[in-house]
Parts: sequence; C-alpha cells; structure tokens
Amino acid sequence: MSEKRKAVRTYHRNLAIMLGIMLLIFVCIPLFVKSPYIMNIFVLVFYMSTLSMAWNLLGGMTGQNSLGHAAYMGLGAYASCLLITKAGINPWFSAILGMVIVGLVAGIIFYPCFILRGPYFTLVSIAFGEALRQFIINSTFFGRASGVGLPFGRDSWLNFRFGSKIPYYYVGLAMLLLVYLLMKKIERSKMGYALRTIREDEDAAAAIGINPTRYKIMAVVVSAMVAALVGFFYASYIRYIDPELMILSKSTESVLPAVVGGAAFVEGPLVGGLIMIPLSEFLRAKYSSILPGINMLMYAVVLLVVIRFRPTGILGWYMHSRVKTFIDTKILLKPPVEVLEEVELAKMSGKE
Amino acid sequence: MLKVEGLRAGYGAVNILWDIAFHVNDGEIVSILGSNGAGKTTMVRTITGMIRPSAGSVNFNGEELARHNSRYVLDKGIVQVPEGRQLFTEMTVLENLEMGAFNKQTREHFADNLRVVYQWFPKLEERARQAAGTLSGGEQQMVAVARALIGMPKLLILDEPSLGLAPNIVDDILNVASTLVRNDGISVLLVEQDITKALACADRGYVIENGHIALEGTAEELAANEHVKKAYLGI
Repeated sequence: MSEKRKAVRTYHRNLAIMLGIMLLIFVCIPLFVKSPYIMNIFVLVFYMSTLSMAWNLLGGMTGQNSLGHAAYMGLGAYASCLLITKAGINPWFSAILGMVIVGLVAGIIFYPCFILRGPYFTLVSIAFGEALRQFIINSTFFGRASGVGLPFGRDSWLNFRFGSKIPYYYVGLAMLLLVYLLMKKIERSKMGYALRTIREDEDAAAAIGINPTRYKIMAVVVSAMVAALVGFFYASYIRYIDPELMILSKSTESVLPAVVGGAAFVEGPLVGGLIMIPLSEFLRAKYSSILPGINMLMYAVVLLVVIRFRPTGILGWYMHSRVKTFIDTKILLKPPVEVLEEVELAKMSGKE
Repeated sequence: MLKVEGLRAGYGAVNILWDIAFHVNDGEIVSILGSNGAGKTTMVRTITGMIRPSAGSVNFNGEELARHNSRYVLDKGIVQVPEGRQLFTEMTVLENLEMGAFNKQTREHFADNLRVVYQWFPKLEERARQAAGTLSGGEQQMVAVARALIGMPKLLILDEPSLGLAPNIVDDILNVASTLVRNDGISVLLVEQDITKALACADRGYVIENGHIALEGTAEELAANEHVKKAYLGI
C-alpha cells in the first residue's frame, strides 16, 4: 500500500510541476513580447476563455445550453460601470457588487424557468439577453444606445486603470486562473457530481435524492457571476461599453472555445480559447483586407471541421490519443487507474 | 413501517391515483401488482417525493412524508430502484455507485457498502471502470440495485425489475432482495407486472387497477383468486 501511495504522490507532484511550468511560461511572456497587438490578443484569450468556462459550467457540466452569457457579461459590465461613474464606488468593490447583482438577477429570472427542459431553456436564455439589450437601448439611466464610458487618467491600481497592456495581462491571467481553480473545485465537489447526473438524466437524479432545481439554480448563479466578473474586466480594459455587448452573436462566441476545446472538460474552454481566438485574430489581420468577410468564412470552415470530425472537442481526442499515453506514462509516471482508485478509496474510508 | 392512506396524485389536471391505501410491515416483502398504465410507477414517484400528492398521507415510521421532496424521503431511508433502471449511462459503474451515497450519512459508509454490493454482484467489480451504458440490461439492473443498496435503505422500492430482462436475472435480483429482508431486516416494496414472479417471493400483495386498489391479500390468497387468475395469469 505504501508503495502505491508513493507512486500516486510522485504522479501528483509531476503533474503539479508540469502545470507550474505552463504557468511560468505565461507569466514570462510579457517579458519577451513587447508588441501591444500580441498582448491584446492574449488579454482577449484570457477573458474570452474565462467567459467560456462560465458557460461550460452550465452548458458542458450541467447540460443546460445557455445562449445568454453575453447578457450576463454585459449586465455585469453595466452594473460595475454605473456603480463607478454614478455612485463613485471603487472599481474593485463595484466588480464584486456587480457580480452579486447579476447573480441575483439570474437566479430570480431563471428560477421559474427551470421546469423547462432542453431547447426551451435555451430559448429563454436568448429571450433574456435580447430583452435586456432592448431595455438598455431604451433606458436613459443606462445611457441608451450610446453606451457608458469609464474615465481615463493616470495609471492606478486602486482605480484599476492602466495605460499599458501588461497589468491587464496579469490581472486577466489571474482571473482566468482563479476561475479555473473554482471550476475544478466545483467539478470535484458534491455539486459537480450532482450537475453531471442532471446532465445525464434529471429524473434519475431526482430518484436518488438530488434536487435538480436547486443545483441548476446554483449553476446558473455561479455561471452568471463569473460572466459578470468578465464583464467588469472587459469594461475596465476597453473603458467603454454599449448595448451591442449583449448581442446574441457574442453569446455564441462564449460557447465556441468550450465546444472546440471539449465541453466535457473543465480545461476545454482554455484549450479552445488558446487556439480559436488567436486564429480568429490572425485571419482577420491577414485576410480581411484582401477580401472582406473571408476571415469569417475561413473561421467557420475550421469550426465546422472540428465539429464534424471531433465532436468531443480537442480534449476529447487527446484523452484517447497516443500523445496522452506517452505523456502520462513516460513523463508524469502515472500509476495504473486501479492503483489511483485504491488509494482514493482508502483515503475516503480513512484507513491506511 | 410504511402506511399509505387515501393517496391521490397525478400529472397536472389528470388524476391517476385514487385513494390508494396499503401498508408495509417491518421485514416484509409487499408486492404491488398491476398491468401497464395502472398507476404503479406514479405511485412510486409519489411515495418517493418526486410528485406531490393532492390528498392523502404517506406515513413512514411515524413520520409524515407526503409533500416532502425526494431528498428528504431518501434521507429517511426509502430508496428506490427506478423503473427502466435510469442509470447515468456516460458515467462509470463506480461513479454510478458513488452517486448512491450522495447524502452525508451514507457517504461515510460508502467504502464498506461498496464491498458488500461487490459481494452481491461480483460482475460489477470487474466492470467498475466501464461506462454504465455499455453494460448488458441485466448488469445495468444490477448497478441500479447496487446503487440503491449503497443508499442504505430501510425500505427498498423495486419498480419493475423484470422490465426487459431475462427471467433468470430477475430471479437473481429477487433472490438478493429476499436475502436482504431475511438477514438485514429491511423491507421491500416490489412493484411488478410479472405477477407469477412477484407472488412467488412476496408475503402480501395489492392489485392496482385504473389507479384504485382492486384487491389485497397474502400471496397465496391472491394467487388463488379467480379474478387474478383470469385477468393476469391467463388461466
């Protein structure tokens, strides 16, 4: 037993080292890359992947396909911007307040909707986003169609305002990491298991004593709050928001990284975002001047190819690939699954 | 142990169950018999808190359970093996079993209970890491029963264990149920269409027709009843 436990510990240590190296690479990138354009793409990758992780909690883990995440993000952006400009509240604090507001709104709006299943839930999420956008376009308080701007000025951590892209890069990276750790925590928790059973079969979940409504509400609230955080980050980075932020196609953009990367995995949105967003930017920079729209066409083709040939996403392929076998056995020294489970079970029952 | 009185329930405006009354004593196998559409599964869903009854009471060891949710009913010790198994097909067998220990009391005993159900169904240990959906029908039913047993039932409800299974597998599962009743003192509510098998292992039975209790009696009485013979046994 002790030998097995040692093997498991070595594996966990190797895994941690590998992840640490990956993180170190991202931390060091701003030291070598000086182009603001490239830095902008990284910031874009960070916040879009975070938004996609928020979507994935609901769409991937719980199986509730939402097309309203741009609305949560937009509402979070508006809430925090208005708290900053109208109420004079510190940006950091208004980010938290904005998250709470959006979480509450999402919980209240979707509570009566959760008896709806499948496509009906999706339709309600679309309607919610559109209704909110129309409301904001017609509301003077929200600045109507012309949007809301945040003040420019001297760099300040207190006011979350920077002239250079490097601080945004690090804050974006930190946000991504925090949300990733949160999602990982949720996945392994009781809630994560409950969400998976709901995705598989809601009636069966109820039959074994899981309250589907309660867990779905929890998922929607957490997901909306993370989206609101991304909204705050976006608003602080761009320093201007308008109702177009909530348009339906933005919600679709939040789904893509998860689907391409693999919606069944917490890491899916990260992998998908890291590939699809730079690709989209590259295509736009390279080809849109040659023939307007050709970049979107090429992007769509890439997307269709992935969905047609790898419906489980890039990670879905990786999980069964020889690359993974090689990395697991040769580099990480992963013990066989039986050993991992035996040690896990021994730990669960508190016996050595 | 379980005493159901005047239970009425249905879906929306459609009422299915009319004044259902029956009881289960400690250490007893009681069978609820009836054909398709008689209201058997609706009754199971009402007792386990998945449907709210419009009238009546479900008394379990002196406590009223009607109008509580499924989680509460499960915590009190009524665990069901739902009709058609309802496994989480993309999760592994082991994960399905883990889901049986979702509440706190049962989670603490998970490792021990897992060992016990592996003794009952050794096949499941071999298949622990396989996705539940890739198992045969009989093996899936074993997973469903094992998942319920891991929930440490005081009253185990088996909803149509014979559905789509080979007769010898049904016998195996009913054997396990009988042994559990004998050795561990739990009670079983067996909801079945297959009257011959159900009456063979039950102590008492009730016959449901169109949402009413039409007949009740000991297993021998029901097996000898002219109406049962004609309508269900075809003799």
